[in-house]
Amino acid sequence: MKGLWQISLILAISAGLGIISNALRPDSLRLFGEWSSESGLTTPTGECLIISLSEAEKLFAENAAIFIDARSNEDFKKGHIPGAKSLPWQDVDRRFIEVIEDVSPDMIIITYCDGESCKPSYNLALFLFDMGFKNVRVLANGWSVWQEGKR
Amino acid sequence: MKKTNWNYRSILFLFSRLILGCVFIYACFDKILHPAAFSKAVYNYQILPDAFINLTAIVLPWLELVLGFVFIIGIWMHGAVVISNLLLTMFTVALLFNLARGLDISCGCFSTSAMESSANIWTVLQHGLFLVPAVYLLFMVYFSRNCDVLKPKT
Repeated sequence: MKGLWQISLILAISAGLGIISNALRPDSLRLFGEWSSESGLTTPTGECLIISLSEAEKLFAENAAIFIDARSNEDFKKGHIPGAKSLPWQDVDRRFIEVIEDVSPDMIIITYCDGESCKPSYNLALFLFDMGFKNVRVLANGWSVWQEGKR
Repeated sequence: MKKTNWNYRSILFLFSRLILGCVFIYACFDKILHPAAFSKAVYNYQILPDAFINLTAIVLPWLELVLGFVFIIGIWMHGAVVISNLLLTMFTVALLFNLARGLDISCGCFSTSAMESSANIWTVLQHGLFLVPAVYLLFMVYFSRNCDVLKPKT
């Protein structure tokens, strides 16, 4: 079969190039890395950004944290954590100043979106971290777990 | 002097090959440069077993590069059309699957940047569009009676 050996050859060359180039990189990845739902959610310095639902609820009850919703405006209007500010990740450059102007850099900020591994809350947390807000946390799968917690 | 006899089928065949070749090569660059960011994009799809995420992020961009060159040069077409159809179908199904279950993820198709907008129905349609030349090539390579399209007549 002409197709079979060509498929094998293309796959073998690609695998070889990928594995060799990865081995030569200073920041090479482990071939069989360990991933968990929270493993990607760290600052560039390696600090974990995740906050648990119970901690987030405690801070909410004490009014000690600001919640920022990274989902779209439409999703925010359908429902959100009470008191949360809306800062959709796709509008962050345009709306960042307006949303964050009355938040002091040492306040605890909790970002959230929706979905087991939704990215906007993490991206927003990293962005805020870079902007000097060092007490940023991510409530993973935030909107879903918050609603479940209230049931 | 030999005269190249181009007909519309060989031109369409060449055009499809070049389109796919360019798309695959364009798609692989950012991923090859930033494998760690791409592995996060793969992870965010929540489809592959955790153990295979890094391996996929390491090999897939190079597979796209090799496929790109194979299509542009015009060799190993029997193998390349099968792999490219499988890949594009898998990408489209993965995007559809995550849209259907409401995961808000970046496509990771042409860029590993976190600033890339979320995958949506247009991203899926875009992949469906790339399947057109891929399916055409598959049909021409495996099912067309006229195999001359693989090489222009001289």
